[in-house]
Amino acid sequence: MDTGTRVECQWCKSQNTPDARSCFTCGAPLDVRNLVSDSGWREAPRLRDMTEIHFGRSTCQVEGEIVPVAEIALGQGDWVYFEHHVMLWKDESAAMSVMPLGGGIKRAFAGMPFIITVAQGPGRIAFSRDATGELVVLPLHPGVELDVREHAFLLASHSIGYSFVRIKGLKNILFGGQGMFMDRFVAGNEQGLLILHGYGNVFERMLQPGESILLEPGAFLYKDASVTMQVETQRLSSGLFGGTGMNLARMTGPGRIGIQSMYVHHHTDD
Amino acid sequence: MATSPSYTCRWCGMSTDAPNLVSCPTCGAPVDVRDRVSASGWYELPAIPDMARLQFGRSYCQIEGSYVPVADFNLAGDDGVYFTHHLLLWKDAGVDIGPMALRGGWKRMFAGLPLLMTQARGPGHVAFSRDAPGEVVPVPLHRGMSVDVREHIFMVATSQVQYDWFTTGVWFQTKEGDDTETHYPVGMYMDRFTAPGTPGLLLLHAHGNAFIRQLAPGESLLIKPTALLFKDSTVQMHLHFEHPAGTWRSWRSWGDRFVWLRLTGPGRVSVHSAYDKLEDPGTNLTGSSPATRYQWRG
Repeated sequence: MDTGTRVECQWCKSQNTPDARSCFTCGAPLDVRNLVSDSGWREAPRLRDMTEIHFGRSTCQVEGEIVPVAEIALGQGDWVYFEHHVMLWKDESAAMSVMPLGGGIKRAFAGMPFIITVAQGPGRIAFSRDATGELVVLPLHPGVELDVREHAFLLASHSIGYSFVRIKGLKNILFGGQGMFMDRFVAGNEQGLLILHGYGNVFERMLQPGESILLEPGAFLYKDASVTMQVETQRLSSGLFGGTGMNLARMTGPGRIGIQSMYVHHHTDD
Repeated sequence: MATSPSYTCRWCGMSTDAPNLVSCPTCGAPVDVRDRVSASGWYELPAIPDMARLQFGRSYCQIEGSYVPVADFNLAGDDGVYFTHHLLLWKDAGVDIGPMALRGGWKRMFAGLPLLMTQARGPGHVAFSRDAPGEVVPVPLHRGMSVDVREHIFMVATSQVQYDWFTTGVWFQTKEGDDTETHYPVGMYMDRFTAPGTPGLLLLHAHGNAFIRQLAPGESLLIKPTALLFKDSTVQMHLHFEHPAGTWRSWRSWGDRFVWLRLTGPGRVSVHSAYDKLEDPGTNLTGSSPATRYQWRG
């Protein structure tokens, strides 16, 4: 293959043909400048209305911009999984089933969905989440492990393994804004597609080994499994009134982290 | 020697001689788009280009995103900003944050206002966003300028801007049985921001879209009280009750009234398009702050 004539997607690093306007694998526009803030945050690519993304024998078309819809045309033998309440509509032909999950009782107590639903092709099925925001398309290369805040994932393709990890430390559970568990997605031997919904705008940043940043915990969207998270409390004292405590999550590299600008506000003791 | 022509921003009024401008260096409004002014005279806040920079002193603020924009401050030296703490999105580990003392703590607490402001000092990055779709509204304050902002709209201000708050004096009372209730359509208190010495930058968050209009001396306008975003301190406000024709009171009445806020110039007024529902139980009106009334006849 003559790689010299290929165009690399700045978001997912996939190679595309020179005439492509958007990335075949993640839908990011290829003819638009990458938006990176001076502080190093890269804005998730603004997907053009009706952009098509390809995985396996299937395609995903992104429709709308304020609350975008992911419409999947599933090829024969392909399947996707999702939380059932994000389903918008489906063809009758798309077969539905439930993914067997371990730790059902733990998940139920933690407020996570008790079941993950599966739709199998051929057929069309569409998804959206009921909030203003962006679809974050993350093609996962083999071996990549990604942790995602609960209820943020919209759908994943069949080649991506799903599990969940317990958040360690009582303080992280109580004040981390994520609950008790995070979803973990692992790409096996084959590349797969993971689509998240971020509230508001979504930004990504790569942390170097040992580099850390403090986040509003509700803003956390996803991270590489190699990034650690530790909640810290900062007292804001105001003398007579005692003040308040502000909890911030210290994220330490190496790896990427993704945040959303319309965050899920977490508890503070004010 | 050739000099570049001076550019005066339609949104914030600041002039600059900087060449090759894409957006106003003070408020971020784009320079290469046509002004959007409605036939009624409302000027729409121009969408700030993604990644636009707003310069203040040696520091600057970068506006990132469009649905729920982030204000990312790069604080130089010991430049500072203050904010309500729940708007903090992220910060560099090296940026110091701490409380800023405010007067009238008890009153603020009872009025549901944040009890304390938090301040951050450079050097380093600190970023803010409000958890609602809308626009970041930059309000550069010239020396001596003062604006009044409805509560919970304020996002962040540079340390050159002085913060105070005042009682709005805009209220009405309703009575049902023995229960009397007092309502504050624009809140019990409003925030006031002033630049007494040097110019400063104030950032607000508008829910939905933001519009601004200049009122001439004595000119007045009726707006939904909860739609008010900010006004120049020179603009006066009081209530106006409007009673439509063809309705009658009943035990389940909605009050047969519309509650308006009358704003009287001179000065600027700004509204946002996604406003809260106004609380009016529709029961008997027993008193109010100074107000005008009008009854339409069928």
